[in-house]
Order: sequence, then C-alpha cells, then structure tokens
Amino acid sequence: MTAEKMGEISTRLRATFALASVAFVVVLAVSPVKDFFQSWKKYEKDYVSYAQTRPDTKRLLADFHPGIDQIWLPEMRVLDRCTTCHQGISQAGLSDASVPQPFRAHPAIPHDVKKWGCVICHRGQGPATEKSEAHETTLAWEQPLLPIRFIQASCGVCHRADLPQTPKLNRGRELLSQLNCSGCHHLQDIERPAMLGPDLSNVGNKLTRQWIYKWLKEPHTIVDASGNTVVDGYEMEEEPRMPQFRLTDQEIKALSAYLTTLKGQPREPYKFDPSAVASLQKSADLADQGEIRFRQMFCTTCHSLAVTQGDETKLIGGDIGPELTKVGSKVNPDWLVAWLRDPQSYLPHALMPRYRWSDQDLYKVTQYINARLIDPDLLSNVPPLEEPAPEEIRLGQRLFLEKGCASCHVIQGVGPQKDFGPDLAILGSKNVSQLEFGNSNIPRNLISYIQAKITDPLSVNAAARMPQYRLTPTDLDAITTALLSMTGSAANSSLARLIVPRAQGAFHPAGAFGELYDRYKCAVCHRFNGDGGNLAPDLSFEGSRAQPQWITGFLKNPETLRPTLIFRMPQFNMTDQEAAVIADYLGMVTQSPAVKLSTVDQKQFTPQMAEMGKQFYEVKYQCNACHTIGSAGGYVGPNLSNAGNWLNAAWIEEWLKDPQVLVPGTIEPRRSLTEQEVQALTAYVLTLKKGQPTSTTAAAAVRGAEQ
Amino acid sequence: MRRRRIILSLIIPAFILLSSCQHKPATAPANPLLNAYDVEQNANDPQRLIPLNYQQAQGKRVFNDKCVWCHAGTTPAGPSNRSNLTPTPPLFTDGETFNSLSDDFMRNTITLGGSAMGKSAIMPPWGQTLTQDEIRAVIAYARAVAQPPYKASARPASQYSEK
Repeated sequence: MTAEKMGEISTRLRATFALASVAFVVVLAVSPVKDFFQSWKKYEKDYVSYAQTRPDTKRLLADFHPGIDQIWLPEMRVLDRCTTCHQGISQAGLSDASVPQPFRAHPAIPHDVKKWGCVICHRGQGPATEKSEAHETTLAWEQPLLPIRFIQASCGVCHRADLPQTPKLNRGRELLSQLNCSGCHHLQDIERPAMLGPDLSNVGNKLTRQWIYKWLKEPHTIVDASGNTVVDGYEMEEEPRMPQFRLTDQEIKALSAYLTTLKGQPREPYKFDPSAVASLQKSADLADQGEIRFRQMFCTTCHSLAVTQGDETKLIGGDIGPELTKVGSKVNPDWLVAWLRDPQSYLPHALMPRYRWSDQDLYKVTQYINARLIDPDLLSNVPPLEEPAPEEIRLGQRLFLEKGCASCHVIQGVGPQKDFGPDLAILGSKNVSQLEFGNSNIPRNLISYIQAKITDPLSVNAAARMPQYRLTPTDLDAITTALLSMTGSAANSSLARLIVPRAQGAFHPAGAFGELYDRYKCAVCHRFNGDGGNLAPDLSFEGSRAQPQWITGFLKNPETLRPTLIFRMPQFNMTDQEAAVIADYLGMVTQSPAVKLSTVDQKQFTPQMAEMGKQFYEVKYQCNACHTIGSAGGYVGPNLSNAGNWLNAAWIEEWLKDPQVLVPGTIEPRRSLTEQEVQALTAYVLTLKKGQPTSTTAAAAVRGAEQ
Repeated sequence: MRRRRIILSLIIPAFILLSSCQHKPATAPANPLLNAYDVEQNANDPQRLIPLNYQQAQGKRVFNDKCVWCHAGTTPAGPSNRSNLTPTPPLFTDGETFNSLSDDFMRNTITLGGSAMGKSAIMPPWGQTLTQDEIRAVIAYARAVAQPPYKASARPASQYSEK
C-alpha cells in the first residue's frame, strides 16, 4: 500500500469520523433543544413581560418563580403543573376579563387552588407541560378538560347534596328524578321518586281502550287553535312525564287491549244521598256551581287547566298533579267519584289529599268535570277498536315488559326489572373508548355522546330501547351536567372523605296528627324539618310564629297571605276537631329555639309605642314597599292586615332582629334596628287586625268598634 | 466539495426533523357561550345570549333571590312589585341609569340601603344579609346585562369585569 493510498484512507476515515461526530452531536442536541423550545417557557417569558405592563409589577414578579410549577397533593392524588403556564391563577389583581389567557386569575370560589389543585375540578392531564396534552384527549390520556358550561358537574362529584351555587346541576338532578331515569338506569344518588307513572293494576276501570290508544300514540292531550300541541309542558317548559315510545300501530293496539283487561276487583259505584243531590239535579247551572266550587277549593294549586286567549293556549295552574283540561273525556265517571273520595285506595302513593267532601260538593264538582272539562274530538282520530282478542292481549302483556313499561308503571306487584337499561352510575368518568358511537358523525367525546343519546337515542345505537324525550337545550345541558357529575365512588379513600352526602330529611309524625298529616298530604307543599315540598311556607317553626286560634281558623278557611300567589292552600273541609288537633300539634312541637314566647308580654306595648312604630313602618323604613296593609303596599312580603291576630309578639321581635335566623334564605333583609325600634314596630304590627280600622291607638280601635 | 455536501445533507434534515417536533395545534376560536358558566338573555333581543362568568352567575342567583321582586318586570311569583312603588325602582338591565354610577356607589347603596346614600328608603340595606362577595357579584351581573352595554374603560381600575 502506498503512502498516498494510506493518506486517502485516513482522509476518508477522518471524514467519516467527523460526520459521525456531527451526527452524534446533533442527536445529543435534540433533547436540550426540545427542552429549550418548550411552550411553557414561552408562556413564562410572556408572563414576565406582561407583568411589566401592569401597575402591580413588583408584586406579580415577587410571586413569580421560573421553572415548572407544581401542585402536589399526595393525599388527594393530585399532581398538577397547570400553574406553570397559568401563572396569575391566584393573583386577585389579574381577575379582569381584559387579562389575556393563560394569565387570568381564577374567579373567587370557596376552594383555594393551592389546596385543591386544578384537575380535581377541571379534569385534563395534570402533569402534562404541553397545552394540547394537558387540555385535550390524547392517545395516552382520555379525559379532556371539562368545558366551563358543564363545570358544575365537578361540584357534584363531592357535593351530593344540592348547593345554591350550582343551579344547573340541581336542575339536572331534579330532571333525572322527575323523568324517572332511575326506573331503567342505575344512577348515583338519584332516588326513585315516590310518584312514578300510575299503578295500572285496575286501569281498565278508569280508562277506555280508545283513550289508551290515543295516549300511547301521542302522550299529549291539548292542541291549540293553530294545531300545535302545547301540553303538559311545552308551554310550562316541562316535558310530560311519559316520553314518546317508538311503537307500531299493531303494538299500540296490543298494549291497549292488554291494559283494558286489567280491571282488578269490581267495585260498587258510590251512591249519592238522593235527598242531598235531588235539588241539584234540577238546577240548570249545576256545572257553573261545580266550577265555582272547583275554584274555591283551589284544585288549580296542583292541577292546571288550558286557557285559550286569542290564538294562544296556555296552561294555568300547578304541576304537582296532572293537567285536567280534558279529563272528563278520559276517565270513567264512577271511577272519578271513587278517586276523589279516596285517591289512595286506587293508587297508594298518590299525592292527592283525601278531602272531606259533602255529597253536594262532590256531586257538583264531578258534574262540572264531566260536563266542562271535555273534548268531544279527543278520540276522533282513533280507529274503531273491537273487543280485545286473546292473542292481542298476550302480545300486549309481552310488550309491556319488553318495552320497559314496567320501569314506571306497576301492574299487580310487577315492578321495575332490575338493570333494564345500562348502569349510568359512573358514566361521568367513562373513557371515549368505552362508548358506542354507532354510525353517527358526532365528535368522539363523552359530552357529545350523552347529548346525542338523549336527543335521539337511535343516532348512536339503532337498536336502542330508550324512548324519545324532548328537552329544551337548557334542560339538556342541565341533565348532561348531572350525568357528568356521576363518577362513581371516589378514586381513593382520601377523596371519599370529601364527599358531602345528600341530606335525608325525615319527619314522620305519629298519632292523631300523623293520620291527618298523611290524609291531607301536608308534606307535598310544606316543609317540616327539612322534609317536604317547597310550594308553601316551611312549617318547622309554625308554632312559634302563629297564634293557635289563627291556625285553626286558617285551616278551616285558608285566606291568602300573599297577594300575588297563584297557588293557594286548598280548602280541605276539615272538621273542627281535626283543625284543633293540627293547631295543637303545631303549637307544641314546631317551636323555634330562637323564640321564647313567654318573654314578651303584650301588655307592655302602649298606644304611644304603636304610634311611633307606625312612623317607623311608613316613613323611616318604608316597610310598605313590600308589605300590604289594607289595600295599599307591596307584593313581596305577606299581607299584614291581620297580623295582630296572626303573629306572636315574640316572633315579630325576633323576626325584626334577624329574619334569616327564623327562616333561612327568606327575602327580608336584616336591618340594624335598635331595641326601641323593634318594640315600637312590634307594638304597631300587633294593632293590625282585620275588620277594624288600622289606626294605631287603642282609643281609635274602640271608636271603630262602636261605630 | 463532496464532503461539505454530505455534511449539509445530514444537518438540514436534522433541522427539519427538529423543527417538526414543535408542532402547534390549530386552535379554533372558542365560542364564548360554550365556555360560559351560565348565560342570560339580552334584554333588548331575547334571541341573543350574554355569557356569564362564575362571579356574574353567582350575582344572577342572588339577584333572582332577593332583588328580582322590585328590579325586574316579571318575578318568579308573577307580577312585579315595581308598579306599587314610588319612586319606581330602575330595571336591573337599565344601563342608562346604572352605567353612570360607580361600583363603589352601587356597593354602598346595596350595603347600606337607599336612605344612607340620599336615595329612597324603599331600597333596604342588604349589608347584614348578603356577604360583600355576593354584593360584588350582583353588581358584576348588573354590569354584564346592562343595556346599553356597560363600558368599564370610562372609569379607572374597575374591579368588576365587563362581559
């Protein structure tokens, strides 16, 4: 080998070596360069230069620490690096909307970022340092950020009891319960409501086959002048509880055939006392009298009727019971009488009170319902239906179980089938790979899946059994939020400790009052010790508030305390003895610890104090802005025209000092009244008695009585 | 010459490779309604929705609990109490009245009541019933729904966000 050749080889070798070195350096450099160009560094740099432009630069820079910022809460298994880019998250000065993201401060919420981390509410991938990895679904991480629109779902993960700050979540839970979703699905913490669909064991006595056919075809009963269905709901912005099932004509015929055969034990129709109704039968305005009685008894507090004004049909009345616009064309008249006399004998869980009817009233009201609340055209589109054939009945019985009717309706003890629909108790933590999207084109994420499934169950699964619900967009978001909050049992025990359980109110009085409590269904509208409805005042402290003789009088003849109320207490036609039992019980048991009735002696109030109180009431505090006396005043608080006969003096004093102690959440604000002002106002309010002039001095009252 | 070419042909792809590591995902403009804690109808045009943030949404809750009775045209109970009152309270969306009032003035009126600020005593004091946070939230809500829209820029350093 010549020296030349040797030189050539060595040059080539050197070149190869140089190349290899360069390649090696480049490969080695990849990692530091990648690190140098990390996007979080850019955000940190931007933050520093942004901080320079703020008036509070010094403070912002003092709190700034370069490098990856990490919140590590091993107890809760939180590892977040979100604050690396979201530098201003706890800087109160950066809360304005003009601050660019990702530097804006978090709105003030009860949970401190440093103690809770971010992903615990917002989801996403905490340890990621790339925006896309932290925020979005990646191959390695299936839980993207929760859109703010549904963020209340995260509150619901731990707060199983409703919070005032989360109206959307609360509404969603309410809907899940109202629509009885738990009839088919297992849902976290959603109880089956007491009032499901009606028990159909004896439905053949109540309804005709034609009506059942019509109902199954279209669970709506009112059509307005322009032909739009406006039922239960549409105008009230609420769905009828019964959703639309996808049934063929044959299936509807079979179901109606089966249901009409369910007659149970035949019952003798109620016989009116002939002497009591003889005169009524002859009167020409029987239906009018019945309507007056119907209104006087405030049936519309729970039931609505359609009222047509011009071209518009509207439902007016409450939604605790079904709307009754066409009920006369629906139910068997004998069944109606039996129902009104004793609803619970037909439907044990019925919410309707057992009224004490006189034969005259019962006759009048049923005649009114059968004569006026009808629609002769209701069943005009129904094809002629013959006597049910045995094979139709058999098919109907099968369909009843297959279609899931038994999830809401009971027939002779046949209740809901276990696990009829999929278990949704941990739907909120499901990964996209666990969901079935079928042939749909929707984005592949949990939220669009839930919304598509509820809006159109067939869109994601052609074989879905789920019926069709029609929800407004707001309600759809609410229900989605509630479903997203159901993430199952917490990931570990330290998180499980954080769960605030749903409060279970329990108030089950026994004895004579207990019987009346069940009979008149007080808890449907009133609340006692955290248990019951929200339609009417909370009566947990009624014994401290009202004078016993006033309670008795009110129960016998409920008067209106709040002028704007549409929903009023119905007249139950209680006996004197029943009213006395209830008043006694309320007086003894429902006492507020804050009110000591014996400490205030009414005799200490002088006419001078009352006169001064009147000045405070009318001039200094302008109480008349919200309260009415006589015919003048505002609508917000109760009418005080009869307050002297109604309220206890000690209650008034405590109320004036701090209303929120006696009724938490009441509208009336707490004022800083002096002891003297409280006493003067109490003295004045006690002089307000109905039937007497509202003048304040005893002398004037006496003069008024003499006139 | 050849050597330089080889080196270049190695280095250039390496740089291309490196630069492709830093990909930027295309960001779609965020729909403010989809990222709102809550929404409210525009008073002049109910079809248009105003996005509310957390503070404004809390203000809406407090408003609908306490203020709605006299400062809105309709109330949860039906008719409004406004018609019973002289002077008639302004509607909560009345930007012409509220936009010219400072945050501090509004906060003090709500906290101390109308009579403390030289206004009608019809407006009760809420300072012992609502927290200062709740009162701030109510103001933020009123600012968000005001018609004509509220512009904070007219006065310095507002602590409440525009919408």
